[in-house]
Amino acid sequence: MMRGGRSLVSSPPAFSNDAKKLLVCTSNTVSVFSTVTGLLITSLEGHTALVTSVIVVPPSNPAAKVLCYCWTASLDGTIRYWDFSLPELMKTIDIRMPIFSMGIPSFLDVPAEENGKHQDLFAYVSIEDTKETQERTKASRRQIRKCNLSKSRLVGRLILGETRKPEVLTVSPSGKFFGIRNKCKLHIWKVLDQGSERAAVRKITLHHTKKITVIAFHPTQRIIAAGDVTGRILTWRGFGNRAFAASNGVADQKLINVQEDKPGVRDNDDADSCSTWHWHSAEVNVLSFSSDGSYLYSGGKEGVLVVWQLDTGKKKFLPRIGSPLLYFIDSPDPTLSSISCADNQIHLLKMPSMGILKTISGIKAPCFYPDIYEGLGNGIAFDQTAGIVAVRTENYCIQFYSLFDDRGVSEVQVCERNHQPGDDVTVIVTSVALSIDGSLMSTSEVKLAEEGIGGLVCLKFWDAGSQNKEFSLSTIVYEPHRDAGISAVKFHPSGNMVVSSSFGGDFKVWKCNHDVIQNDQMRQNFSWTCHSVGSYKKKPMTAAAFSADGSVLAVAAETLITLWNPYKNVLLAVLGETLTPIVNLSFVGKSDNLVAASCGSNPQLSVWNMSKLSVSWSYKLHIEAVASAVDLSSFAALVLLPESSKKTTFKGMDGVILLFNATDPVPTVIWSVRKAKGGALCFVQVNPSSVEEISIDGKAPEVLLAYMNGDHEYVLFDPYCKDAREVSVSQKEGLAAHDHKGQAGQYGYASIYGELPEFDRKRPEAPWVPSFPSDRPWETIFSGSSHNLPPLTKLCSAFLESLLEKRTAAAE
Amino acid sequence: MAEIRAEEPASTISKTFLIKPKLKSKPRSLPQTPESKYWSSFKSTKIPNLVSSISSLSFSPSPPHLFATAYSTSVSLFSPLSLSDGDVSPSSTISSFSDVVSSIAFRNDGLLLAASDLSGLIQVFDVKTRTPLRRLRSHTRPVRFVKYPVLDKLHLLSGGDDAVVKFWDVAGESLVLDLMGHKDYVRCSDCSPVSPDLFVTGSYDHTVKVWDVRVENSRSVLEVNHGKPVEDVIYLPSGGLIATAGGNSVKIWDLIGGGRMVYSMESHNKTVTSISVGRVRKENDGAESMEDRILSVGLDGYMKVFDFGNMKVTHSMRFPAPLMSVSFSPDCRTRVIGTSNGIIFAGRRKGKENVESGRVGNVLGFESISEPERRVLRPTYFRYFHRGQSEKPTEGDYLVMRNKKIKLAEHDKLLKKFRHKDALVSVLSRKNRENVVAVMEELVARKKLLKCVSNLDSDELGLLLTFLSKNATMPRYSSLLMGLTKKVIEMRVEDIRNSDALKGHIRNLKRSIEEELRIQHSLQEIQDLGTSRASLVNLFRGLGNIHLPSLQTSLTPAALLTSASLILMFGNKSRMVFVNFF
Repeated sequence: MMRGGRSLVSSPPAFSNDAKKLLVCTSNTVSVFSTVTGLLITSLEGHTALVTSVIVVPPSNPAAKVLCYCWTASLDGTIRYWDFSLPELMKTIDIRMPIFSMGIPSFLDVPAEENGKHQDLFAYVSIEDTKETQERTKASRRQIRKCNLSKSRLVGRLILGETRKPEVLTVSPSGKFFGIRNKCKLHIWKVLDQGSERAAVRKITLHHTKKITVIAFHPTQRIIAAGDVTGRILTWRGFGNRAFAASNGVADQKLINVQEDKPGVRDNDDADSCSTWHWHSAEVNVLSFSSDGSYLYSGGKEGVLVVWQLDTGKKKFLPRIGSPLLYFIDSPDPTLSSISCADNQIHLLKMPSMGILKTISGIKAPCFYPDIYEGLGNGIAFDQTAGIVAVRTENYCIQFYSLFDDRGVSEVQVCERNHQPGDDVTVIVTSVALSIDGSLMSTSEVKLAEEGIGGLVCLKFWDAGSQNKEFSLSTIVYEPHRDAGISAVKFHPSGNMVVSSSFGGDFKVWKCNHDVIQNDQMRQNFSWTCHSVGSYKKKPMTAAAFSADGSVLAVAAETLITLWNPYKNVLLAVLGETLTPIVNLSFVGKSDNLVAASCGSNPQLSVWNMSKLSVSWSYKLHIEAVASAVDLSSFAALVLLPESSKKTTFKGMDGVILLFNATDPVPTVIWSVRKAKGGALCFVQVNPSSVEEISIDGKAPEVLLAYMNGDHEYVLFDPYCKDAREVSVSQKEGLAAHDHKGQAGQYGYASIYGELPEFDRKRPEAPWVPSFPSDRPWETIFSGSSHNLPPLTKLCSAFLESLLEKRTAAAE
Repeated sequence: MAEIRAEEPASTISKTFLIKPKLKSKPRSLPQTPESKYWSSFKSTKIPNLVSSISSLSFSPSPPHLFATAYSTSVSLFSPLSLSDGDVSPSSTISSFSDVVSSIAFRNDGLLLAASDLSGLIQVFDVKTRTPLRRLRSHTRPVRFVKYPVLDKLHLLSGGDDAVVKFWDVAGESLVLDLMGHKDYVRCSDCSPVSPDLFVTGSYDHTVKVWDVRVENSRSVLEVNHGKPVEDVIYLPSGGLIATAGGNSVKIWDLIGGGRMVYSMESHNKTVTSISVGRVRKENDGAESMEDRILSVGLDGYMKVFDFGNMKVTHSMRFPAPLMSVSFSPDCRTRVIGTSNGIIFAGRRKGKENVESGRVGNVLGFESISEPERRVLRPTYFRYFHRGQSEKPTEGDYLVMRNKKIKLAEHDKLLKKFRHKDALVSVLSRKNRENVVAVMEELVARKKLLKCVSNLDSDELGLLLTFLSKNATMPRYSSLLMGLTKKVIEMRVEDIRNSDALKGHIRNLKRSIEEELRIQHSLQEIQDLGTSRASLVNLFRGLGNIHLPSLQTSLTPAALLTSASLILMFGNKSRMVFVNFF
C-alpha cells in the first residue's frame, strides 16, 4: 500500500539546525525533505492522527548543530521525540488529549549536563480536554496547558488559559514569551526562568477591535506584531513592562512615568506604544520577524510576501506567488527561508533577494467551482503506464503528479491567464484527457460570459516531446461545438484520434496529422483536424468512450448509448435506455462489455454486453468513477453511499470501491473509503523497470489500483492480493538514503569550497548509518595543492569544529 | 560564509501573459527552405507595356550583363543596374525589323548581337551603336532561332520553319553548312559549352538532334525523341547532359551515355515554353558553393526550379500570365521572365556589385592590395570600450541568452494597471479588430466590459459604435459583438438620442445588420433548394464560418448564391473539407 498526495501545509514546517532539511507535517507522518534537492529524504512514521507541530531541538552549542532531534505533537494525543537523521523514535509521551499546537520555549534554559543537575524541559500545549465533557461547557474545553517533557506528563491541573477554538501557540525566538490569539485579544505569557513545575506563569492581555489572525514575537526586543482579519498589522512595543517587570522588582515610579504616554495602546493594556500598518486587503496569515529583528514579513490571501522595514515602515514585495500564503519560516541559515502556500507548495527562498530556489510541490488541492457550468468532470486524468496523474488546479494549470514518487513532476499552463487568489472564476478547465502512452493531452476550457456577453469554449491539444515531459500546445480549436459545452474528451487507444462530445447534440472525432520536421533534433509536429461529426436525434451527448482495440466508439446520447465506427463515421447500433442521463462510459478491457454510469435521481450502474447488445446486469448505485484496466476483464467502480447507510454500516466512510468481474454481478472485493465525493480511480500498470522495487511478499503485482479521494490524497494498492496488502517501496528509501548520504557528508573542505572532483568517498554498506561523518575530515581537509587551499583562518575553524563533532559523537 | 555555488536562476512563479488575438488557422504549408528563400530574395520588378509576347530573352555574357528582349518587331536592351533603381525604360531599342523578331543571341564577348525575324532574315548588330553590320538571308521561311556558339566568335547557327538548320560564317555573310534531317519546324537549339563544334536542335517532329559540324555528310550524330513537339533545349553546364522542354514535361538526357533519358520532370500543367540554367548559392558546412538548377516556365504561369542533382523541384513561383521565356544572368543576380502579354518580370537580388568581375581580376593577376594593418586598440581610443561587442560566437562557445524582453502594447500596459476603459479606448483607436476583440474578451474575463461601456464618454462611444457597425456581423466575432451591441444600445440609449453623431453610427449599424439578414435569407433559400438537408446545414455553417468574412464586403447575395450552389455540386466530399477548418 502506497499513500501519497498528502497536504504539506497543514501545519508550519521546521528547518533542521544545519538548514539542509525541512521537516514537513504530512498528515500522520513528518516528511523530511532536502532543501538542496527538494526531494524526500525520509519520513517519521508513528503518529496515528494528524501531526500538528514539529519543533526541532535547537543546538545548545555550535558543535551540536549536527544533532537531529525533534519533538512532534499530534491530534492522537501524543508527543514524540525523534532523531530524524535515522529516523528513530526516541520517546513517546501520551497525554491522551488531542494537541492542536505545541510550543517549547525554554530549550536554552536546559543546559545539557551543567553542574550535574538536569533541569526539566517544559512544553506548552494547546489541547482539547475530551474527558470532562459533562460538567464543562463546550466552549472552555480548549485549554493551554503545560507539559513536563522530561517526566512525560502534564503539569498537574495547571490550566493557563481556555479558549473557544483551538489556538496556535506562538513562542518568541528568545524563549521568554509565548502567546496565543483569542478573537480580538492577545494573551502573552512570560516563561519563568526556573523550570519548576508549579511556578505560576504571568499573563498579560492586549486588546484590539478586530479579530486577530496571527501573531509574531520580535527575536530580541519586547515587540509583538499581530495581523487581523482586515489586513492591518499592529505592532506593540515594550509590552508587559508593568506586569513582567514587576516581578523583577524594578522601581515603581518608572512605571508611572510610562503610563502617561502610550500612543495607540488601547484601554489599559500593558505596552508602551502600538502602531498600525495597513497594506493587505484581506486577512493577514503570515507574520514573522527576520532573525536579526530589523524586518517583518507578512503575507496573506493575495499571495504577496511583504517585507517591512521595522524602523521606517518601508515595504518590499515578492509578488505573484499565485496562492494564499500560510506560513513563513526562517531557517538557521540566513540565506534560506521557506513559504508555504495554500496550493500545497512549499517554496524555498534565497533570502535577501527573495528568489525561489526550489519548490517542494505537493499535489494541488481540487478547485471547487460554483455550479454554474454543466458537465464539469473531476478534472483528473491518469497516465496508466507512467503512473502519473494530471489534475486540474486553481491557477488554470494542469499539474502532473507522479504517483510512485509522490511529488509534482511538472505543470502546464492551460489558459494564458494569471491567477490571483480571490479573483472571481472566469475560466474553467472543464476536462482533461491523456492518451494511453501519456504523450498527448487534450484539455477543454470555458471562458464564462459576463451577463450573456462573450463565453467561449476552447478545445486544446497538447503533445509532449519525446524525451522531456513538457507539454506544448499543438492545436487550439475555438468553439469546437459552436457555443455548446464539451461533456467528455477521450483518446483513441492508438493515440491519433480524439472524440469530443458536447451538450449541443453532436460529437466530433479529431484526427492527428503529424509530420516530422527534421532540423537539428527530430521534432514531431502534431496538428489536429476534425475527421467527422456525428449526432443522434439532436440529443445532448453526455459521455464517450473508445473500445480497447479502437474499432468501436460508444457515445452516450443522454439515456441511450450509440455505437459508431470511428473511422467511417457509421452508426453501428443503439443500445437501450437508462432512466437518467449517462455521465460515464467505459469499455471493460478487452472483453466485450461496456459499463455505463448514470447519475441524478435514479443513479444506475449498468453493464452492457456488446455481443448481445443488451444489459447484462445493473445496480442502482451512485457512481463517482469507473476504472478499467487495458488487459483485464474486471473493472473497479467508486460508489458514493447514500446518506442513510453512511451512519449505520460504515463509520465515517462515505464511499466504497467495488471490484467487479464484468460478467459477474457480484463484486469480488469491496473496500470502504473516505471522502469519495470528487474522487477518481485508475488501474496503474507497474512498469518492468520498477518491478523489483515495488513488491508484495517478494512477488510483483502487475497492476495497482489507484484511488484518489476528493482532497487529492491517494492510495495505491494491489487489488488482487488478498492476504498481504502492504506494498513495500524499497525504491524510494534507497533513493532517500543516497540523497541523505550526499548531504550529511559535506564537512570541512567540502563545506567551504565544494566537493573535490577526485574525492572518492566510500559509501557505508548499511544505508542507515547515523549522520555523523563516517570518514575523518581532518585527514582530507588540508589535502590539495597549496595555492587553492582556503585561507588558514577559514580552514582552522572548520577543522576544529570537525574535531569537536567527533568528540560529541564519541560521548553519545 | 562566502557564496560558493553559482547563482541559480530564480524561478518565477507566474508569468506575464499578453493580450493576444485568437489564433487563426493557417494554411498547412511547409516552412521555407533556404532555397526558396534564395529564390524569393529576387526583388521583382515589372516591365510593362511591351507590345506583344516576349519571344526571346538573352543576357550579355560580359558585365554589366545587359539583357536583350525581343518583342514584336523590335529588340530592347535593358540594364539590370537601372532595374534595381526602379527604372523600367529600356536603355536602347533596335527597331529596324520588317517582321516579328523571333530570337536574339549575344556573342560570347557581348559586343555583337544577332537577331532573327519571321521574314527569314538574320541580322547582326553592334550592341553599342545598334547598326546592322551583317544581314544573313537564306531561310525561305520564318527563322525561329539564332545562336552564337559559346566558344566561337565567327560562326552563327540558325533554324526555322523550313526544317533546315544553317551554319553561317558571319564575317563573310556566307552559309557554311545546311543541316537537313528534321521533318518539321526547328524551334530551338543550344551550343555545347565545352566544344565549339557541337550543338543540339529541337524540332516539332518530337526529336532533338545533336550535330557536329566536323561530320562531313551533314547527318546528326545523335537523336533522341522527346515525345512531344520540342519547345526548348539547353545544354547543362557540364556539356554531357541536355534538357529538353516540350509538352508539359522537361526531360533530361545523357548525351555521353548515348542519349539515355535520365529524368522526366512533369510538374507543369501546360506546355513548357522555355528553360534556362540558373544557379543557386548553397551553404554546405559553412563553405559557399554554387549549384546549378533548371528554371522552366510554362503557359500555366509557373516558374519551377528543378534540382537535377537530386531530381527534385525545389521551388515554384506563380505569375499572373502565361510565360514565354526565361533567362538567368551569368552573375546570378538577375532573372527575367517574359510573358505572352508583353510584361517582363525581372527579378534582381541584392549582393556585392561585380562579383564576377572581381573574380576575373584575380585571374588576371591583379591581386587586391592586402588589408591595411589593424590598429592596436588602446584605452585612449573610443573604440577600445566597444571592443568585442559585435563579436560573433564561435561554434564551441556556450551561449548565455539574455532573457527575451516582453513587448507590451499600450493596451497591455493599461490592463496591467487595471485602467480598463483606457485600454479599451486605446485599442479601439488602433484599428486592429483582432486586438479589439481580444481586449474585449479579457475585459469579459475580468467582468469589467459593461462597466467600461457605461463609463465611455460620447466620443469614445462613437469609436465603439463605429467598430461595432463594421464588425458586429462578422461571423468570427458575432457571438461576442452581437451581444455587446445589444447591451451598448440598451445601456446608452439616452446618450445616443442626444447626439446626432451617434445616431449616424446607429444608422450604419442598422444597415450592416440588414445586409447580413439579406445574406442569411438568401442562404436559407439555397438550403431549401438542396437535396440532403443535413449535409447542407453543416455545409452552410462551414460556409458561414469561413467564406463569409472575405465575401461579405465584395459579393452581392446573388454572387453568394452562385458560389454556394457551386459548393452544392461537390456534395458530401467538400463537406468534410469545410468541417476540417473549424
